[in-house]
This record gives sequence, C-alpha cells and structure tokens, in this order.
Amino acid sequence: MGGPEGPPREPEDDRDLVERARRGDREAFATLVRRHQDRAFNLAFQVVRNREDALDISQEAFARAYTSLPAFKGEASFTTWLHRIVVNLAIDNLRRTRRSGTTAYDDTRAAPEGGDAEPAALEDPATVLETKQVRALLARGIAQLPPAQRAVLVLREIEGLSYEEISRVVGCTLGTVMSRLFYARRKLQQVLREHFSDLR
Amino acid sequence: MTTMHWFHRAMGRGRRLAAFAAAELPPADRARVEADLLACPACRREVEAYRLVSGTLRTSERAALAPDQAATFWSGVERRIQRGSDAAPTRPERPALRELFWDHPRLSLASAIAAVVLVLGLTLGQMGVWTAHPPAGSNGVEVVSVEAGQDASVMVFQAPGSALKVIWVFEKPSS
Repeated sequence: MGGPEGPPREPEDDRDLVERARRGDREAFATLVRRHQDRAFNLAFQVVRNREDALDISQEAFARAYTSLPAFKGEASFTTWLHRIVVNLAIDNLRRTRRSGTTAYDDTRAAPEGGDAEPAALEDPATVLETKQVRALLARGIAQLPPAQRAVLVLREIEGLSYEEISRVVGCTLGTVMSRLFYARRKLQQVLREHFSDLR
Repeated sequence: MTTMHWFHRAMGRGRRLAAFAAAELPPADRARVEADLLACPACRREVEAYRLVSGTLRTSERAALAPDQAATFWSGVERRIQRGSDAAPTRPERPALRELFWDHPRLSLASAIAAVVLVLGLTLGQMGVWTAHPPAGSNGVEVVSVEAGQDASVMVFQAPGSALKVIWVFEKPSS
C-alpha cells in the first residue's frame, strides 16, 4: 500500500562508517553527519517549522546517535534510526512549546534568511494567489494537529516515506500510522472545505 | 450533502476516500470507490479536498541549511558530544491526555459514556432514587483504571463495596 516493501534502503558505505564510528573513529561519524545533515535538518524543520529549533534538534539528534552507537544493532538503516531520533526530539519540542504556549507554525521561512522563499515561476497570478492561500490554510490546520499526527503527516506527504518506513521511524504499528495519517488528512481537508465553497 | 454521502461516512468511507485521493488503494477498492463517486457529488468534492491537501504538501519547499550553518554543523554536533558525557539523560515529554485520545478515539467515547453513567449514578444516589429499590448496596460504578496501549486500551470499572470488576478492552481498528 504505502510504497516499496523490503529491507531498508541504505548506501553500502553508511554501514562501514557506522561500524568505524562505533570503534571510536570520530572522522567516520563526521562523514555520516555531513552526508545526512541536510535531510535531518529538513525533517526537523518540516515538523517544528522553526529554523533555529530545527538546527538545534538536528544537531542534538546526531549527538545522541553518536552516544547511542554502542546500542545500535543495525537492524534498521542508519537513516531510519537517525530519523527516529529527529522525529522524537521534534515531537518533544512541539509538546514543550505547546505547554509553554509559544507554539507557532511558520510557513514562510523554509529558505534560509535572504534566500528565495518561493521559486520564481511564470504562473498565472490567480493560481499563485490560490496556492499561497491554500498553503496558509494548511499551515494553520497543521499547527492545530497533535504532534504525533503532525510527524506522521510530514513523513508521508513531505518526506514520501512508505507506511512501513513511517512505522519503523515513529516506532508504532501500521494501524496507528494509518489512523494518525487519516485524522491529520481529514482535519486538513475540513479546513480547506470550510474556506472554499466549491469544495463543500 | 446527499444521503449517499452520509451513508458513505457512516460506513467508514471517509478513510477510503482519503486513501483513494492519495492513490493508496489497491486496484479493486479503487474501482469500487470510482463507481461510488459517480453517485455521490459530495464525496467527489471531499476527494478533491483531500487531493488538494496531498498535492500542496507534496510540493512543499524543502528547508535547506544556510551555507554558514552547513559549514559549522559538524562542530556544533561535536560540541554536544563533548558536553553529552556530563549531561544527565533527559526524559521524553509525555503526550497530553488529549493526544492519547486522538490515537484512541473509541477510548474517548467510552470514557465520556462512563463519565456520564458515573455522574448520573452518583446524582441519582444523592437524590435517594436508589434507596427505594436498593441494589445490594451499590450506588454507581467507579473507574478503577484506564490504560492506553499501542494496540488496545483497557478500562476497569468496579461498583463500590463489590468485588465484581468489569473490564472493557477497546481494540484499535486494524485499518
């Protein structure tokens, strides 16, 4: 159902680097970090929608991965394992900020400061406006989702992971993944239908 | 909203429509939903909305590290590794009760029903309704414990003064 099945995809030498890092080779771990830092940062950002928090989470995830290397048995790929740490930290971050009342979902700052927030494209202005409107509505809807649902939605719709991969990353059953994804999607489609009369 | 639409919703069709819109249904189910959509304009609009959600999210801009952040990323990790050996382990944040209920909607419904039964029982007990026909010393039930697990949730009730316990198990739906 949710994409290709079978063993996790992993570049062959990730395993070698992990093995060397386990034996204390810090440079091998640095290579792993450089290889995966962009994806880890993006994943954290897509969940928490805050660049500073995403940087903090992704760096912390690598640090925790390093200190937990002795416990890493290699049953999952390094990427899945790392993503699991990133997602757990991101969910924790959301729960903390929600409790302290500082939660925010910023949909305008995926690009670094000074970078292009939107790709330049020769599109119909009405379409561009509607797309922006839809993105803003979805951003508001996503901000209201419980953290665990938000994480599953990001892993599926933005990261394009299969249900099985999501289940391994978030550490819950396929049924829970499906359930969370359905409630998240339903909430967002309701938000759009409340706003656009032609969808009612 | 047509009757057909509400019928579909009642049959759990919402999940199927969402999966259809995301192209996640096997061919046989897909053909069935396509046939159903012909008779249900509201369902078609619901599918459109689901497609708009998925289509928009799937074209979301990816976040990139700024060049200076990318260049100093590893040194930040290394600093944390050095610090980490002295730092106390942090406990993961517990999910809010509301979040647990999101994952276990049947549990939230059962809890609401149990709460209503409990309040009603206690209120009637206070009003002396039960004393006219005493049911062997019982005037309501108490929720002894609620445990939410990954695959099922368990709720235990007990009547005060009675050794009898009622255990409800709410299994999570498989799909």
